[in-house]
Amino acid sequence: MEATGIRSELANAIEAVLFVAEKPVGRGELARIVGGTPRAIENALAELGASYEGTGLRLQRSGDEWQIVTATEHASQVAAYLGADRLRLSAASLETLSVVAYRQPVTRAEVEAIRGVNCDQTIYTLASRRLIEERGRKEAPGRPILYGTTWEFLECFGLQSLDDLPRALSPEGQLLESAEATQGERA
Amino acid sequence: MDSQAPRVTVEGFDGPLDLLLELVEEKKLDILTVRLGDLADEYLARVRAMAALPADEVSAFLALASRLVLLKARSLLPSLEPLAEEEGESEDELRARLLEYAVVRERASALGARLRAGERAFHREGGTIELPPRGGEVDALASAWSRVLALAARQREEDIVAPAERYSVEQRTAEIEALVGAQERVTFATLLAEAPNVEFAVVTFIALLDLYRRGEIDLSQDELFGNILITWRQRGSAQS
Repeated sequence: MEATGIRSELANAIEAVLFVAEKPVGRGELARIVGGTPRAIENALAELGASYEGTGLRLQRSGDEWQIVTATEHASQVAAYLGADRLRLSAASLETLSVVAYRQPVTRAEVEAIRGVNCDQTIYTLASRRLIEERGRKEAPGRPILYGTTWEFLECFGLQSLDDLPRALSPEGQLLESAEATQGERA
Repeated sequence: MDSQAPRVTVEGFDGPLDLLLELVEEKKLDILTVRLGDLADEYLARVRAMAALPADEVSAFLALASRLVLLKARSLLPSLEPLAEEEGESEDELRARLLEYAVVRERASALGARLRAGERAFHREGGTIELPPRGGEVDALASAWSRVLALAARQREEDIVAPAERYSVEQRTAEIEALVGAQERVTFATLLAEAPNVEFAVVTFIALLDLYRRGEIDLSQDELFGNILITWRQRGSAQS
């Protein structure tokens, strides 16, 4: 699919719907609204996402839901317009968040086993900032709550989907370093 | 603004694994090959140097300390038989946990870097869009405009020709009653059409409300801003 070509009617219709939507729209709902097989919708979404390359917008996906968001490159301008505060989190909260992000859905006990400390407070902090949310209960003694990351998490960290996570946060740090280097050049 | 003041120490609390990992990194040791028992003395020294922590948190540090001391004892006395009640994790298990935790910490710092870089996305915020009742009907707008013009023209005529009439609700009620009684159904627009000025409209409207209150008529409206239909209520059904 060519980035410069004219987009399909279906991609345009989806774009129009997502433009007015204030919350993520499921693929099934899109199919119902604009008409088309799930496969066609999937293709049109991919086409739309690709067509945003080099623009101020991006297509963000969480599970089967889609939303148009701003490109991370322009975060500072958008934040200035919205008067948005920058999110700050402690190292402890970030650790808990990274475990939840990679292991979701995950229980508090599982996070604590990995971090080796009590995570009550960090889970509370992350949930109250809508970075993580309940994802049902684990079928285990006590039916503990399962946690997963939210839309806000993807937005706050500028990830287009959870698939972006390993690329953006490679444990090896190589990709990360190169990303920081290019950022330094831009600054 | 990371947390409320009283919980700051707990929120930023790093834990025993973090301390152990810190020792490994300070000494530039490899997690895969370091003999964890060798770190027991320094680990204990660090724990002792820590400012007072809540008891349950100290216990986590002490649990790991005892494990390290045992590993150290084992390396000094390889012939040492496992104690009967010894069921804690082996050095390999502890090493695996430490490795896993190292990855978590690395990812967390990557997340933090991303957060500090401020490269985030935003979605469109906004109130619900109120769709106009008859979205984009150009003809409706045109005909509404011509009605306004006609109304304005008539209003001007009346202003010139005659002083504003006095209307009474009682009189208007009687008129409507007669009209609706005879025709069964009448629209609000019809009632206004005779002399549409504000006073007349207000009196007509009050008369309608009064008739409705008394159960003489029924009011219905098919769609928003559509014509109001006034129907004569059957005497029989009004009594039920």
